[in-house]
Amino acid sequence: MFTDELKAFRRLGFRHVLLQVLNFASVIASGLMIWKGLGIVTNSESPIVVVLSGSMEPAFYRGDLLFLTNPSSEQYKTGDITVYKIPGADIPIVHRVLETHDVPPKIDIRQYTKATKRSKSQPTSGKNSEHDNQLLLTKGDNNPIDDIELYRGLEWLEKKHIVGKVKGFLPYVGYVTIAMNDFPQLKYALLGGLGLLALIQRE
Amino acid sequence: MHSIFARINNTSALLSSCMMALLAAIALSSLVFTAKPQGNVSIASVQVYSGNTRRYATKRQDLAFVDFNITADFTPLFNWNTKQIFIYLQAEYNSTLGVKNEAVIWDRIVRRKEEAHVNVVGKNKYNFRDLSASFKTAPPASYSLQYNIMPYVGALTWGEAARTSEPVAFPPRKARV
Repeated sequence: MFTDELKAFRRLGFRHVLLQVLNFASVIASGLMIWKGLGIVTNSESPIVVVLSGSMEPAFYRGDLLFLTNPSSEQYKTGDITVYKIPGADIPIVHRVLETHDVPPKIDIRQYTKATKRSKSQPTSGKNSEHDNQLLLTKGDNNPIDDIELYRGLEWLEKKHIVGKVKGFLPYVGYVTIAMNDFPQLKYALLGGLGLLALIQRE
Repeated sequence: MHSIFARINNTSALLSSCMMALLAAIALSSLVFTAKPQGNVSIASVQVYSGNTRRYATKRQDLAFVDFNITADFTPLFNWNTKQIFIYLQAEYNSTLGVKNEAVIWDRIVRRKEEAHVNVVGKNKYNFRDLSASFKTAPPASYSLQYNIMPYVGALTWGEAARTSEPVAFPPRKARV
């Protein structure tokens, strides 16, 4: 089987291999462009996320795909499902907003957030003066209590912690990435197989 | 050209595009269903006590306890693309400092049409507190019943089913239960 392929490979020559490599690279580049373009349109650093935990069951299960937007002109409301990332935590969390407190810019919100170390290095006064600062508290639908324990010492979530708000839902599709994370061999097998196919394909 | 790989490739491509089209059609079809459920929220009583939340055992702050009645019918929201409905009762008030507050005090997940007749006499599930740790200067709050429709596939939508006819004031703090 492989002798045939090898023969074909020889016959097609070096240029063909180069062309296929170029094709492969352009596929990857366009994927990246679409991802980053989506990120600009939705104003979210990661506009599509995969649910990794069961804390929003029975609405979202592990492996479901969520589509996010994060319009900078909009405030979050209670009942919105947000994806947030606490500094120092590596996994973003998908939970529902339980409380919002829109604090006018004239009031210093640091008296509520208590994040003294960080705010000393970057004073926030007058940074986004046209919008109210927002303090948020979240809770997973499947959790009995709110998320304060997950905030790593923060009292409230702020807008800068939020990756986006869930707008759309597609079930199961993201399970591929979870499977690839759980079984890294699968990832390498898939990538290797795709690369090999791309190289020896004739059309 | 007619190798087994090409055949598998073509079949799976066709299947997945059919699947995508079907999912898109289902997601778009839920735009047709525009039911607006109507309900009723009334606040039986609001009481304010001094208490502490679990984070700071020694820090006292005002906690409000709300007794309410909800009647609402969410059955029109259930169609073939409705996975569940998340219903929540929220309090809204602007404090004298100009802080706009919204707090969910009660919620429920409705998963079946048979359970969508909501008739609840209840009290708040979650701590209801103010940023300033006191409700002394807080103006009266309105209470509204909101819902979030979560589909099997497609866009999530939000709406409001009921609202108290006029804001309900916070009473002065009571010392003991």
